[in-house]
Amino acid sequence: MHLLTGLVIVVMAAALVRAVAPGRPILTAFASGIAAAALLVAFHQDLAGTDFWAGTIGFLAILSALVVVIHPNPMVSVLSLILNLICLALFYLLLQAQTLAILQVIVYAGAIMVLFVFVIMLLNLRAEEGLRIGRGVQRWGAILGGGAFAALLLWALRHRQGHAWMEPGRHAGEFGTAASLGGLLFGQYVFATEAASVLLIAAMVGAVLLAKRRLD
Amino acid sequence: MRIDFFLVMAALLFTIGCVGVLVRRNIIVMLMCIELMLNAVNLTFIAFSHESQSMTGQVFALFVITVAACEAAVGLAIVLALYRRRRTTDADDASLLRW
Amino acid sequence: MDPRLPALLIESSAKIALIFFVNLTAIAYLTWLERRVSAWIQDRRGPNRVGPFGLLQPLADGIKFIFKEAITPPQAHVVLYLLAPVIIFVPAMATFSVIPFGPTLELFGRTIPLQVADVDSGVLVILGLSSLGVYGVALAGWSSNNKYSLLGGLRSSAQLISYEMALGFSIVGVLMATGSLRLTDVITHQMDHGWNILWQFPGFLIFIIAAFAETNRLPFDLPEAESELVAGYHTEYSGMRFSMFYMAEYANMITASALAVTMYFGGYHVPGLQALGLSPNVAAIVQVAAFTLKTGFFLFVYVWVRWTLPRFRYDQLMNVGWKGLLPLAMAHILWVAFIVLMGWA
Repeated sequence: MHLLTGLVIVVMAAALVRAVAPGRPILTAFASGIAAAALLVAFHQDLAGTDFWAGTIGFLAILSALVVVIHPNPMVSVLSLILNLICLALFYLLLQAQTLAILQVIVYAGAIMVLFVFVIMLLNLRAEEGLRIGRGVQRWGAILGGGAFAALLLWALRHRQGHAWMEPGRHAGEFGTAASLGGLLFGQYVFATEAASVLLIAAMVGAVLLAKRRLD
Repeated sequence: MRIDFFLVMAALLFTIGCVGVLVRRNIIVMLMCIELMLNAVNLTFIAFSHESQSMTGQVFALFVITVAACEAAVGLAIVLALYRRRRTTDADDASLLRW
Repeated sequence: MDPRLPALLIESSAKIALIFFVNLTAIAYLTWLERRVSAWIQDRRGPNRVGPFGLLQPLADGIKFIFKEAITPPQAHVVLYLLAPVIIFVPAMATFSVIPFGPTLELFGRTIPLQVADVDSGVLVILGLSSLGVYGVALAGWSSNNKYSLLGGLRSSAQLISYEMALGFSIVGVLMATGSLRLTDVITHQMDHGWNILWQFPGFLIFIIAAFAETNRLPFDLPEAESELVAGYHTEYSGMRFSMFYMAEYANMITASALAVTMYFGGYHVPGLQALGLSPNVAAIVQVAAFTLKTGFFLFVYVWVRWTLPRFRYDQLMNVGWKGLLPLAMAHILWVAFIVLMGWA
């Protein structure tokens, strides 16, 4: 958690410099560079440890998710969603799901997001509108609901039975490999796999039909 | 490094995606926030799969990726068809059925 | 810190530096090769002024590119415009990290595998990185604020994702025979059971055609042909940024050739090298040279086909990709499955 605090400090330093001296990108970059170097010196013992990288990737994932939601230009949203997906793939690597990590990059970041990029290019969408932010009752309801959700989350995490520590090499060598994944997919879950392939064909036909110009 | 770190991360991403769906007006960005939510759920699945040493979580995450692909394809096709008729991608403008 | 880490870091850094340097030089001299071979096919001389046989021509071209003025189009989205060449160049170079270019070397008391990263799912890494490279093309087309670039970017990225599938299917044929996703296992299997080209020839053809389409080379280079769409997605790029696109195309060619050699022609395997009884290090160097020669042959084929065949029209290109190659690739998988089941592989 210290690392996350440190990274937030880097961002705040950059934002502070940006606010005080806007239009001075070199100064901003210099300030955040110094803060990042200070962080690295403070955490150099951990550089090869899991905690450091998990914290950094987590920071990047949340930052990119926020950019997806906040930025008005849809193309920038797509790019930061791609960054988010790659950060998640790195998380899967940390959690010993290596086949799924690379599949996430190929399928999600490499194919589904290309669909999004295509549609944005076809429709030629530029930067846009305002956000839909409620007033009055809606705003207070949202604040209360969000607070209740956060409290529920913290309570659930605190009362989990069996906190698992994660060490590398904890699982058998076959955990997360393509062989074991494939064995399950075509063994125990073969029906679900075939149903998923039928679903994919139906979605393909549906998408082609829906996007046709004239039904003739 | 506990699994809780990944669970908290997934919950945060899910919340951010949820807020995105509620707040943004552009349908394509709303679809992207839905993908964000699906990915947060995937992360939870894989974290729990690691904890319980069972590959079932990873298999399920793979199916979630498959379904997300189908949903994104069909959703974007619908957005294209909508754009051709109404020349807008604002979700609030697709309101013919509203009472 | 793990005590094995510093040695591993030094070893990996040396390999990465070597591959990077060799790749960049190969890209530069590929331009020379292209010009000389095209000249030979067209019955004229190529560059022969700048050095002996024009060998310093790539150097001169590089200096020219550095000195050209880099114009940014007005109202272009500057961040995306500058990011696009990076996104297309980095995966093109990074795919070389999982390709084995030789067996192991014995140096300084360590066994050094001649591959930067022997990942469990090496083939998937290559597929993943090439799918990420599509974004560079799409972003270049989008951010240039130019209708020709937009259309060129759309066409090119549609072509890239269509042929990715045929590429994947032909690779699946090889993987079914090998039974593993590691590239070293693919080569070991070919060492034991004969090169894959011998009984997977249709798969090889599909792979080569898809590789031509993936690297945007003739006969599939409509998006960047001069008579169409000016120059497609890299119309608005000049100077060093344009040379990034150029280098990325050649780097993709080198990767596709190296992959074809690894998958179908046994990689660095030289049949009958055992019988010579050379010391392991010398044998390793001979095998690296064999790999380089095989890859060089495929690069020559790339250049040869470019200057021999006419270009596909865009709708013909898409038809071939979806209605031609894909069913053929599926039939090929059935064929390979039959052979693997019979145990003849």
